[in-house]
Amino acid sequence: MKSTAENFDVHNFIKEIGEINTKLIKGTGTLAGIDEIDVGTAPKELVYEEDKLKLYHYKQEGKITCKVPVLIVYALVNRQYILDLQPDRSIVRNLLQHGMDLYIIDWGYPTKSDMYLTLDDYITGYLDHCVDFIRKRAGKDKINLMGICQGGTFSGIYSALYPEKVKNLVAMVAPFDFSTNDGLLFSWSKNLNVDSLVDTYRIIPGDFMNSGFLMLMPFALNIKKYVDMLDVIEDREKLLNFLRMEKWIFDSPGQPGECLRQFVKDCYQGNKLIKGELRVGDRLVDLKNITMPLLNIYASADHLVPPAATRPLNDAVGTTDKTLYEFKGGHIGLFVGSKSQKELAPALATWLHKRDGEDQTKTSAKPESTRTKKTGRTTSDRRRSLKDTGRNKTK
Amino acid sequence: MESTKDYFDIWRKSQELLFGNLTEMTQKFQQGLQGLGGNVEGMPGFGGFQDMYTSWAKSVMNALQGTDTADMNFVKETLSKTLTCSNAYQKLYEIWLPFFKAIQEKSTSPNSYKDLIDPAKFKEMMDRVFGFDPTAVPQIVEEATKLLETLAGYSQGFVKPWLDASGKSFKEFPNMMAGHPESVMKIFHTLFRAFDSTVGRAFHVPAVGKDREKIELLLRSLDDLSVYLAKRTEYEHLMYVTGLGAFKKVIATFADKVSKGEEFKRFDEFFDLWIDVSEKAYYALFQTQDFSKMQGELLETSAHLRQHNFKLMELYLYDFPIALRSEMDDLYKTVYDLKKKVKSLEKQIGEVHA
Repeated sequence: MKSTAENFDVHNFIKEIGEINTKLIKGTGTLAGIDEIDVGTAPKELVYEEDKLKLYHYKQEGKITCKVPVLIVYALVNRQYILDLQPDRSIVRNLLQHGMDLYIIDWGYPTKSDMYLTLDDYITGYLDHCVDFIRKRAGKDKINLMGICQGGTFSGIYSALYPEKVKNLVAMVAPFDFSTNDGLLFSWSKNLNVDSLVDTYRIIPGDFMNSGFLMLMPFALNIKKYVDMLDVIEDREKLLNFLRMEKWIFDSPGQPGECLRQFVKDCYQGNKLIKGELRVGDRLVDLKNITMPLLNIYASADHLVPPAATRPLNDAVGTTDKTLYEFKGGHIGLFVGSKSQKELAPALATWLHKRDGEDQTKTSAKPESTRTKKTGRTTSDRRRSLKDTGRNKTK
Repeated sequence: MESTKDYFDIWRKSQELLFGNLTEMTQKFQQGLQGLGGNVEGMPGFGGFQDMYTSWAKSVMNALQGTDTADMNFVKETLSKTLTCSNAYQKLYEIWLPFFKAIQEKSTSPNSYKDLIDPAKFKEMMDRVFGFDPTAVPQIVEEATKLLETLAGYSQGFVKPWLDASGKSFKEFPNMMAGHPESVMKIFHTLFRAFDSTVGRAFHVPAVGKDREKIELLLRSLDDLSVYLAKRTEYEHLMYVTGLGAFKKVIATFADKVSKGEEFKRFDEFFDLWIDVSEKAYYALFQTQDFSKMQGELLETSAHLRQHNFKLMELYLYDFPIALRSEMDDLYKTVYDLKKKVKSLEKQIGEVHA
């Protein structure tokens, strides 16, 4: 056995410090050569505006093969350009290449004048106005909704309130069952006095939200990430991609107080959505009204929105055409991971293409639970597979 | 007593003396506590735990003694900006250096971690990771001291809790000397309770007269500050203790590998192990309901402090020709309601035309 002293190479250690400093110096040169951190570069045009909201339509340079337009609804937290963060890892570009006709909502940066905006304003106001605008513009009665994270929850609520306007619903890493404590955000929010927070801030600062997100993995996100950055600091493209992600992470709009108050109280703390007790404005949200085809995508290693919060949607909806898609990865990897580009985006496009024709939706006249009793089969037995994508990723 | 004025002069002086003595006694007690922590043979790690008590005590004492300006900087975001630069990595070297030295001197063992950690550097590191700002001490207006001097007329009731707390704290000292971090928190809680039942009571005394509202708000703010800092101390303590526990585990793991003859060529190997173990330790902590509750309470106390300070600011700014926060809130509400009405009417018009 070697002695302890022999196990530690002090010369190597000193050399290592030298290497790091050299990297930092060289990296400074690389950094100085980056003028702009470009994100969201897929060509698009502004087609509708309302208050701070902007609706964009992506330019389709190829042929539109999926006739029904898709509206992408992102969360109020962070920015929607994560879907088009870098040209070679862009869900948006990927879907465009697959012949989709894409629209996306940019919620903007709320200021104190937006502090009274409610969940109702966002869903039956802004979102509904965007849907109506696209329906009119495209000459379609229904459009496809693709909601992401909190935007997925909004889309789910919207689809339950306005099923006649939604052709297909895609929910990506969207929480619906908030009873879980799997994710730290779910556990922490249950002890959060949101009234006190909203009454103090009015608009909850993005910086405050970020602090919470960083706390989820304090060492990895506050130290290791930057240490790892040193490995790519001399490579302009890799560094630029790092900076793009960094920009997105800290590009955090504030949260309108009243909307957040209801979302935390009714969803995170009261779990009213899945229980059918959530009221948006004066309307009760019944997820059984989701009678259009549903593609529910969750990430198996999602630390922000755990599978336990997303998967139950499939048991709560009224449609029989429902697909549960497992993405093996994390929340962010679902948007920018290479696997996401190779597998998820094509699968999503295929799923939508298959449901692009005349309305073939099988709506359930009776609640899901009744049918389940009659057939004796569980909902999971009836989960559809995505064999047509060439990959059987469906659970 | 020759006149009413004389009576009040004597009364005021006696109160000043009492308060002065109390302050001096507390400061001495505090210094004694610091000294005891820092000079214990074989326990160089104590200063780090003392810092939290000192931080709280200093903050509160500063608030009582007062300064010239009403600088509200202390009301920082509870979980605000965290370290976002790679120099944390460099910082790690400083923390690890004694450990490397120990390896070379063949004195590494899982039990020797306390001797290997410079608590000040470790605390600095943890402050950076979690965004704690040790310099964010409160700055409260000088008038607060005068108000408290006037209100603090509780002679017997004022001193007794401190004496009791001192006795309890001294009983806890052996445990603290034995290296139990939780005993530091016990002492802290004892002293905080003494503070809360003496000076803290003054924060809740009803004020009278023309500036009643202003004075009461000021007192409530002081109370909020004290409660917030106490809660933050608890929170930070939990973070440090968890970090130290993780550190101990890292050294135990490493010592075990070294004893089996494994080689460590690069610093990254230490670093990765430390990150991995620490992350797991904190994740385990963060998952507990106790932590969730504590974090919720911390946020609530910080929000209360902010709210009272906003109200105070409004009172002070009322005579200036500027729109106040509450006035703007009203305006925003009106604009919001009007916008809604306009949109609804536009929709109705659109439907009629269609």
